[in-house]
Amino acid sequence: MKKNFIRIVAISALVTAGGCTKLEEKLNGSIPEQASGSANVASLLQASYDNLRSPFQDQARLWAAQEHTSDEAVGPTRGGDWDDNGIWRVLHRHTWDADHTFLRDTYSDLGRIIFGTTDLLRFSPTASQGAQARYLRAFATLAMLDGWDQCPYREPGGSPLELPKVRKGIAALDYVISELNAIMNDLPNGPANKANKNGAKVMLMKCYLNKAVYANRAAPVFAAADMNQVISLADQLIQSGSYSLTTNYFDNFAPNNDAIGSELIYSLENIGGSASGNVRSRWFCTLHYNQNPSGWNGFTTLADFYSKFDAADARRGGNSYPGVTSVSGIRPGFLVGQQFDQNGVALKDRKGAPLAFTPTVALKETGNNLEVTGIRVIKYPPDYFSGDNSNNDYVVYRYTDVLMMKAEAILRGGTPTAVAPTTPLAIVNQVRARAGAAALASVNLDQLCDERGREFYWEGMRRTDLVRFGKFLSPRSLKPGTSDNKYLIFPVPNQQLAVNANLTQNPGY
Amino acid sequence: MTALLRLQFKPILGALLLLVLSFTAKAQNRQITGKVTDNTGKGIPGISVTVKGSGTGAQTGADGSFRINAGANANTLVFSGVGFETEEVSIQGKDNVEVSLKSSANTIGEVVVIGYGSARKKDLTGAVASVKAKDFNKGVITAPDQLIQGKVAGVQIINNSGAPGGESTIRIRGNSSVRAGNSPLFVIDGVLLDGRSARPGYTGPDLGNTPNANPLNFINPNDIASMEILKDASATAIYGSRGANGVVIVTTKRGQSGAPRIDFNTSFGTSKVSKKFDYLTGDEYRAALTSYGLTSGNFGSSVDALDAILRNGSVQNYNISAGGGNENARFRLSLGYLDQKGIIKKTGLKKYNVNLNSSFKFLESKKLGLDINMIATQTGEQIAPVSNNAGFRGSLVGMALQWNPTKPLYKPNGTLDIATGGSEVNPVGMSEAYNDRADITTVLATIAPSYKITNDLEYKMQLSVNYGTSTRKAEIRNWINLEGIQAAPGGKGGAAFLGTGELVTRQITHTLNYTKKVSSDLNIGALVGYEYIKTNNKGGSQDGRGFEDFAGVSYYDIMGFSAQGTRVITSYNDPTAELQSFFGRANVNFKNKYLFTATMRADGSSKFGSNNRYGYFPSFSAAWNITNENFFRVNGLDELKLRAGWGQTGNQEFPAGSAQTRFVATGPGGLGQESFANPDLQWQTDQQVNAGLDFSILKGRVFGSVDYFNKKTTNLLINEVAGIPSPGTRIWKNIAGEVVNSGVELTLNGTIVKKEDFSWTLGVFATFQKNEVNGLNGPLLTGGINGQGLSGAFVQRIENGQPINVFYVRNYQGIAADGQAILENDGASFIYAGNPNPKTLLGISTSVGYKKLNLDINMNGAFGHQLYNNTLNAVLPINNLGSRNIAKSLTTLPVKEALSSPITTSSRYLESGNYMRLANATLSYNFGNVGKAFRNVNVFVTGQNLFVITKFTGFDPEVNTDKNIDGVPSLGIEYTPYPMARTFTLGFNFSL
Repeated sequence: MKKNFIRIVAISALVTAGGCTKLEEKLNGSIPEQASGSANVASLLQASYDNLRSPFQDQARLWAAQEHTSDEAVGPTRGGDWDDNGIWRVLHRHTWDADHTFLRDTYSDLGRIIFGTTDLLRFSPTASQGAQARYLRAFATLAMLDGWDQCPYREPGGSPLELPKVRKGIAALDYVISELNAIMNDLPNGPANKANKNGAKVMLMKCYLNKAVYANRAAPVFAAADMNQVISLADQLIQSGSYSLTTNYFDNFAPNNDAIGSELIYSLENIGGSASGNVRSRWFCTLHYNQNPSGWNGFTTLADFYSKFDAADARRGGNSYPGVTSVSGIRPGFLVGQQFDQNGVALKDRKGAPLAFTPTVALKETGNNLEVTGIRVIKYPPDYFSGDNSNNDYVVYRYTDVLMMKAEAILRGGTPTAVAPTTPLAIVNQVRARAGAAALASVNLDQLCDERGREFYWEGMRRTDLVRFGKFLSPRSLKPGTSDNKYLIFPVPNQQLAVNANLTQNPGY
Repeated sequence: MTALLRLQFKPILGALLLLVLSFTAKAQNRQITGKVTDNTGKGIPGISVTVKGSGTGAQTGADGSFRINAGANANTLVFSGVGFETEEVSIQGKDNVEVSLKSSANTIGEVVVIGYGSARKKDLTGAVASVKAKDFNKGVITAPDQLIQGKVAGVQIINNSGAPGGESTIRIRGNSSVRAGNSPLFVIDGVLLDGRSARPGYTGPDLGNTPNANPLNFINPNDIASMEILKDASATAIYGSRGANGVVIVTTKRGQSGAPRIDFNTSFGTSKVSKKFDYLTGDEYRAALTSYGLTSGNFGSSVDALDAILRNGSVQNYNISAGGGNENARFRLSLGYLDQKGIIKKTGLKKYNVNLNSSFKFLESKKLGLDINMIATQTGEQIAPVSNNAGFRGSLVGMALQWNPTKPLYKPNGTLDIATGGSEVNPVGMSEAYNDRADITTVLATIAPSYKITNDLEYKMQLSVNYGTSTRKAEIRNWINLEGIQAAPGGKGGAAFLGTGELVTRQITHTLNYTKKVSSDLNIGALVGYEYIKTNNKGGSQDGRGFEDFAGVSYYDIMGFSAQGTRVITSYNDPTAELQSFFGRANVNFKNKYLFTATMRADGSSKFGSNNRYGYFPSFSAAWNITNENFFRVNGLDELKLRAGWGQTGNQEFPAGSAQTRFVATGPGGLGQESFANPDLQWQTDQQVNAGLDFSILKGRVFGSVDYFNKKTTNLLINEVAGIPSPGTRIWKNIAGEVVNSGVELTLNGTIVKKEDFSWTLGVFATFQKNEVNGLNGPLLTGGINGQGLSGAFVQRIENGQPINVFYVRNYQGIAADGQAILENDGASFIYAGNPNPKTLLGISTSVGYKKLNLDINMNGAFGHQLYNNTLNAVLPINNLGSRNIAKSLTTLPVKEALSSPITTSSRYLESGNYMRLANATLSYNFGNVGKAFRNVNVFVTGQNLFVITKFTGFDPEVNTDKNIDGVPSLGIEYTPYPMARTFTLGFNFSL
């Protein structure tokens, strides 16, 4: 028995000696955080600038959410092509839901910017770097507020496991305003394609102009005090003398718009041939296969929108543009009717029929002419020289918008000032004159809304405008009924609801 | 042939004999002889004869006779064998013993393997099913899971496709994970398998990623003696954090004491596609063009492009094993060779396998034991570009399906007609342009010494290494018209890939096992153990493009030729996964009436977050043998046992390193955040209740069991997007929510006829199950659908109040008069339209014997579920007419569908998945002994997949193409899979 006991002890000892590790995980081929070099503020800031590209420039992100839902754009299904499970149709018809992948991915993309710009603040940035990061964060937060009303946020260095807290509606807006005011002095003066002081001022104008909307989207009540803020900021920008209307409207969108776009106050930098967002999708998604460049034969505008323009209006197109028409025959603006190449030869579609774009278009094209339906839109003169990375900076805020916001603020009860242009009519006619359109005799809010459409079509702001003017839900071409109030706000994506209990689904979804 | 074989194996045999003889040095002196017969008086071969209490053993010969050297003071001999009731016979004062064994169709008396031990089936308190070699499925079997398909209630096995050596989906008691693995733990001879294969994955440009190989391919099914399926928590909790999905214990064949014996078997087979998709022939296509008034699209010929990439497959399989030994040393060595040529050209599986099992006893007391086992396997796969997620050009099968059937594949001069660009790819060209081979070498070696400290207490240590290494070489020639592959005239193109993988698991297990008969009424047993498992997974790959087509030279052999800018080099070395465990089990058996089992395992894993390093997994179960109660004696009722158990198990199937913040290389100079720290990360918890009943009536003529289970999975593991704001990284965490699987399992075995010359047995294995998800904060999306115009489409959700993977689609309402498909609310509303989880599983096995003829038939089926036909949806829609082929069903619709009717995912493509398959039928003739040399000569013919009864219009209702979204598994979707084959094999086996 004693012998056995000794054996048991010996074996137990062996058992314990043989093992018992502390289970500290060896990472092998992975790099731990402290060695990852993530504390390089300049590169982190650049990464945040780069992160703006996807949500703002891609055709399937915020741009789609702002334009396809409006009277300016539609993505027709041509046979099986561009069906994509109806993802474009539901935008135009206002029948999207909380699983819509573009809306979901836009929301996450904006969240990525907010994370990166917040996270770098813990690595001791310079005053300018910190201000730029907070500018980008405010910019992304405002886009989120405008679309979804709910803006999740984290503190710098906060654990990713903690549920992000959420600012909603006016609280989010107040946060954006206070951030912009706090960083104003530390922001650089330029250039336009970086975070800058004047960009922050335009952003503040947008905040005040839309404040009533964010308080109550269905029935906004605009306060004179807010409108006066808009006017005062506009006057500061007018008096700065830094900006002027370009003679050629399309210069603001040209491949070299960073040099010749004298209206640009804030834009997203694209470096031709090396580092760009998907600005090229603006022309690819609308051009026919047989045009140059060979497009994707997708999006069009609607006949009703096209008919809002005077024939003389240069913004409607028809004029040749240097470096474009001589290469491809394309004339920026709206493409309707027979299309020609650079030598004036009439183009044909893939079945050999004339490539003549028709004004009428349906959400589901089924006829023999399904390749050529719908008026095409070229806002950005294509860059033929930079390959997949186009040089056109992506326009966010331009001077015309500052003027037009001032006009709107006065029409909404703001007090006119002595800074010229002083009246809404003067402003609108100044904008129209540049485009060669006849002066209006008077201007009211409805006309101003139309003018904003003519001036800013396909620039990714139409939905916001229509909501503010109370026209977003109205019936329109290819959207027969009045939409439910819930469509004034996008649904919080189910993906995010699942991971953040601080988010609540927006009413009605 | 036989002479040659004998010649070849003589040296091996000689060496083995020497090995055995060297351990037979000390023979004991008292010799007993005798004969074992069945109830008809015929001698039974292969019965094990042992001296009780000594471990000395022998085996009966062909005529049932035996000879054994019993010790001078031996009292009793024990006779046992598969299919017979064990008998103990006194040998006091005897030199010769004649024994007649009762055959037992009843398996209750048999011993089954359980976690870290074995138990008599009648002492089990948990839900454990055992399938012995004689009951396995027959035919061409490449991996062990196929042996038990349809053989066990509560187990669903789906061959994901017909690819040789392809992966299967194995589910024990349903799907319980929303993101972590759902596959059971496989344990082979005490070694816990990792569940992955070392084979590198490959995603061909424009082709999608090819499915995985079955990680169990390295085990030769011919070497398996039995498979035990542990289903409920009281059986699996001993495996702790890896037991939640059930456990399958594979036990390989051992050498038997007695004269050395050689077993040989071989089979040859041929296979052919069992069912093709219904698409238009050339003439039908022309008729359709006319009917739609299309003037283009007729190229005047008639071709069947799918036939052009298919062929008659073949298989040859050889297994030879030699085994033998004496009471102190036993061995079995087997060699296996399988060469399977698949029914798609340029596909196949070759497998070379060596398996050695040996067992030794040392010291005069024979208390020191040593087991040495080794499996070494090399598998070589030839893989076709049949992928899970090809885009609009499709993968090989998709290309063949949608090939315009009026368009010749070859030019008049006999060369392949390869387009420049475009969306149609010549499938024969694709097959010729694509070469892909993967070789996997697996070595599993175990050494296990043991020591009997006292008669009641045994210590055992097991050391094992499972080493898998693999290389994969693939190329796409530069003349095929894939995007980014096809060379411009005079230019360069093509792609090549070289990948390697290495997966190593080391395991050390110590156990102390105590059994004691305390009194005549009370038996107790106890087990304590410690286990440590360490896993490393690493590999790398090189990709390059821009090759010139040098005839006969593979691109992957001239990697250096590729264009500099196209080269991608990757390598990975995953964090080491360590699992350290302490476990124990206690059994009490009181009067053979009341049985209790309790188990406990503490699992510490390096994968878990620092706040949750150890998980504890208890279980309790009890059984009551009612028939052993005096008050309960019913005529004809042999056994009635009630069982009940409760336990907790875990699931830790997430990647190592998931609890820590990690960055990995993403490209030249670039790092990307791979994971976020989550110090709370832990296992997923399963809590299971099981109540069962085992019965046996009419002297074992009918026996079976009924089990009710309710398995609740909580603490769900998920790899979710970190809530924004976040850098887009995913994060592994445990979330609220539960998945409940519940159901009833029924196993019924019966001997319908039992006569001297004629016998008929029947086994029925039925499962009725239900699945429901609750408590999630929001739905998870999965079931991604691929094809043109289907970007971003998905058809499944994991959602509260619904079964897991419920289909969530637009409601299809037919075709309108204008030919456009009608979707409810114009496709804006979605409905829950079907469930991919079968409500009923059914397996039927029957065996009929007449004299020396035997017929075994195995059928399996699944009912009450739906499948999504992504092939019909995306590959053969009406829009194709004029350029590509369409499904035949589209020409017989009551309303003619318009060519512009959009492709949209909808309930239109949901179909009933019900099926019943005649999985295999084997007719064998047993010649018995032929001449003096050949024993047990048996000739057989097997047909596999003889027919399927189903309404599913895809290739085969047994399908599960991997359509996961962000790792959330999909279920029940078909997308251009490798088709299933019907196989006939002819074989024979004999012993020497």
